[in-house]
Amino acid sequence: MQIIGPDLLIFGVDDVPACHEFLTAYGLETTDYTPEKGGTFLALDGTGLVIRARNDPSLPPALKTGSTLRLQVLGVVDEDALNAVEAELSRDRQVLRLADGSLRTQDDQGFELAFRVTTRKPLDLPGEKVNAPYAPARAANALGVTQDMPAKPRTLSHLVLFVPDIEGAVGFYRDRLGFRITDTLTGAGPFLRPQANADHHTHFFIRTPPYMQGIEHLAFHLGGPTELMLAGSRMMEQGYESFWGPGRHKFGSNWFWYFKSPLACNVEFDADMDTHDDDWAPREAPMGPEASQAFLLQWRAKWAPGGGPGGPGGPKD
Amino acid sequence: MSEVTDSGFLCRLDDLAEGEARGFDVPGLRAKVIVVRRGGGVHGWRDLCPHYAGGTPMAWKRDAYLNGARTHLACHAHGAWFEIETGVCVQGPCLGKRLTRVPLRLDDKGGIHLERPPKGREI
Ligand code: FES
Ligand SMILES: [Fe+2]
Repeated sequence: MQIIGPDLLIFGVDDVPACHEFLTAYGLETTDYTPEKGGTFLALDGTGLVIRARNDPSLPPALKTGSTLRLQVLGVVDEDALNAVEAELSRDRQVLRLADGSLRTQDDQGFELAFRVTTRKPLDLPGEKVNAPYAPARAANALGVTQDMPAKPRTLSHLVLFVPDIEGAVGFYRDRLGFRITDTLTGAGPFLRPQANADHHTHFFIRTPPYMQGIEHLAFHLGGPTELMLAGSRMMEQGYESFWGPGRHKFGSNWFWYFKSPLACNVEFDADMDTHDDDWAPREAPMGPEASQAFLLQWRAKWAPGGGPGGPGGPKD
Repeated sequence: MSEVTDSGFLCRLDDLAEGEARGFDVPGLRAKVIVVRRGGGVHGWRDLCPHYAGGTPMAWKRDAYLNGARTHLACHAHGAWFEIETGVCVQGPCLGKRLTRVPLRLDDKGGIHLERPPKGREI
């Protein structure tokens, strides 16, 4: 099944202007925005988020839990792939073919899904290059960092869902849609990769009671760890609030920095995720601080040693 | 940045509009104290969402503690809503759990204080 991953995530929120403020600071491009109707917020390759008011009649119905995620639009490689999804899912559920050619259905737990031939535009942008001893990746005179360098989300990477029935979720995404399980955090759930995407995960599921069903976080990829550190630091300097990070996950190797948001879920900056193919042997580790990250850091305001004598222990102390 | 002194003074009632919430760093406390003014009352809560053990801070931006309709305190990690008067979570991952109340004292000049400013340092 030639699925690439999420092209768009569609939300029904309580505070549209707050989401506009947050997502603009996060670095997405706004189109068609009004404070009443909401708008579309895009990464550089055209993937992104649609923000509407919670009671907007154009939105699919909400889950009973009140989760703000209303629809995942998954991109597939071509029309044949779309037909394959339609044929497979039509075996046991209603699949609508909409006027724009996209498919609409639900997964086994009631999350609304759409499928379409992807509209993402491949980017011609270099990734971060690291100069290691005897192995420089940057040309002479090419700088590794400048204060004002761009640090924009490049593509929608993944979403994480709280789901009451992990086995049901795996049964649907792996057995029906052909996703591969790359790794599993026991006690939480599996990381999943669709066949037409090498990224370690586009979906991760966390087992929860039914009243928690909904979105836990979403993430966009940046060009590398330096961009991630810059983008997150810019958020912190403007008073946005970190939830977790910066750090580097073990499963997936992706750098992470999560921010709380008025979308009522965490919104993550992500960089340098592992890619896999079908030769990969999935790992398993118990969910917890040790398995979750190789290291975890905490942001602080800029500081430098200096200013002369007079600190603690100095003559005036 | 709002800093709190030994006397436990947080801010003046006049500095906090009806329906508004603010977070205060209190020396000795590892998380902020949220002060919300609503319906004639002033309520103090620890900025610790009870979803995860130990609690985590809840605003999406400095002082942004309320939901869109400003009817509830909200944790913006996963959208939990808490009643402003009781601290009880009525929607979201910590359904039924509650925030930790911070007793406040109003002086006769309209100053809002912590009833019991912390002595040591919380870990
Ligand atoms: S941490 Fe507050 S709702 Fe999850
Ligand atoms: Fe993530």
